[in-house]
Amino acid sequence: MSDFIRIASISDLPDPGKQLLEVDDRLVVLFHVQGQFYCIEDLCTHDGGTLADGDLDGTAIACPRHGAKFDIRNGKVISMPATEDTIYHQVKVEGNDVFVRLSDE
Amino acid sequence: MSSTLEVSGFTQASFDAFIESRNEPGWLIDLRRQAWKSFLEKDLPARTEEEWMRTDIRLFKLDRFGIPTASDQAECSRPLLLEGVEVAGSNKSANGVSVDTSFADSVASQGVLFGDLSQLANQHEALIQKHLFTRAVNPHFDKFSALHAACWTTGTLLYVPDGVTVELPFHSLASLSGGTDLSHLLVIMGENSEATFLNETGSLHENDGGLHCGASEIFVGKGARLRFVTLQDWGRDVWHFAHQRAIVDRDASLQWTVGALGSRLSKANQEVELVGPGAECQVNGVMFTEGKQHLSYHTQQHHAAPHCRSDFLYKAALQDKSRTVWRGIIKVDPGAQKTDGYQRNDNLLLSGNARADAIPGLAIEADDVRCTHGSTTARVDDELVFYAQTRGLTKREAVRIAVTGFFSKCWTALPLTVSEKHLVKPSVAGFANVNNSHLVEFAMDTGCFSLRKETIRE
Repeated sequence: MSDFIRIASISDLPDPGKQLLEVDDRLVVLFHVQGQFYCIEDLCTHDGGTLADGDLDGTAIACPRHGAKFDIRNGKVISMPATEDTIYHQVKVEGNDVFVRLSDE
Repeated sequence: MSSTLEVSGFTQASFDAFIESRNEPGWLIDLRRQAWKSFLEKDLPARTEEEWMRTDIRLFKLDRFGIPTASDQAECSRPLLLEGVEVAGSNKSANGVSVDTSFADSVASQGVLFGDLSQLANQHEALIQKHLFTRAVNPHFDKFSALHAACWTTGTLLYVPDGVTVELPFHSLASLSGGTDLSHLLVIMGENSEATFLNETGSLHENDGGLHCGASEIFVGKGARLRFVTLQDWGRDVWHFAHQRAIVDRDASLQWTVGALGSRLSKANQEVELVGPGAECQVNGVMFTEGKQHLSYHTQQHHAAPHCRSDFLYKAALQDKSRTVWRGIIKVDPGAQKTDGYQRNDNLLLSGNARADAIPGLAIEADDVRCTHGSTTARVDDELVFYAQTRGLTKREAVRIAVTGFFSKCWTALPLTVSEKHLVKPSVAGFANVNNSHLVEFAMDTGCFSLRKETIRE
């Protein structure tokens, strides 16, 4: 597991909001929901599609291609057609800065 | 020794400087300028496009690369396909700059042309103007084809005149170590000619990066025969974008063997168009991926004339979290009656995290044809492994045998059968660790066997 990396400022992202980010040659999606920040891999485990363009409903993100849903708080799969969790990355906020620690792939 | 100098990014200024530095005929400069205009107008492919839906290039940064402008003493990767093989000619480039060409006088005296395309373009204008970006590769197909057509710096030309047979194979090597390779391959086979071409790409070190944006154009004239072997073994951080198209005329045949092993991400469009009655082509492809590699092959076998035969077989073995995408189309024009087309893709998943997408397709506009296709994807059979273990093999040895057997089917599908010696050798040497370096040996052997006269026609 990597060290924490600063990826954004709190003010960069509205609440609710999401942003696609490139971190250490990986694509992740940062969410700002109900005052909390979450980060998951930009990967739908169903067919490898991107989640960043999906609709955010509370703390669930839907894959725009086939509708699989994931919980942004932990990467857990919520609904078919995906059956496997996506990767969740640990987030911390210090002052106005948002940091992420990338999980192993 | 100085390193390769490159203009940063594909900018208007770098293109203008590039054009200024070229001593090329007017038609070629015009062609480049048109392609450059197309390059500027086009966006990088979006993931909403069917071809790119499963191939994510958002981490690809085009502005990190540029047009190769000069190179001194650029070191080439080791040419694998040359080992133990006597050739009629060999042409090498490194980081997009021509390095070395050899060509046997005895072959040249038959009227055969071979060597660096950029040099020969000045000496054989009419021949090259007739074939370069005319009927085969469309420079305006996408941003990558346009970039290549505008900025290709080097490449290889093979021209075999009518009725000439060259027994020894020709060889070309494009090497890449962190730079940009925009090499172009042009093969023109005259009527009733015959030749073999070994085309390979590689990097100095296994984890080298770079950009390859290339194209291959192959013309097989009436009654001609071409055996064409492609081995792609770029470093594991190379971005590979290629357009490969062959046009096969009446009663001609093309046997195309592909080994795809390297690169971080590959997106190749491979098309064969059969334009004369009786033309036939056979394509056998082997992909072996590991780590996070992503190889995407999009093939098309286009029947534009009646009584033609095409047979495509792609096999992939995937380890770790690697991924392959194969999308194949058999396209049959309205007048192409009595077409016999077949396409197949088999995938062997060696890990639970690997993924293979297979998308075969038919687009048939004639009503008297036989076109079939199929695809399989599976893990190594547990029962097979268990049985092998009961006979004293370790699990690893059992898997190795299964993988070897999986690929051997690719070669038994060839009309040219292989001597027992050449089938046995790869099964012994190959896959000792089920990794790519050993597959290179395998591809080397299988690539070379079709050149040898130990093969017989069934």
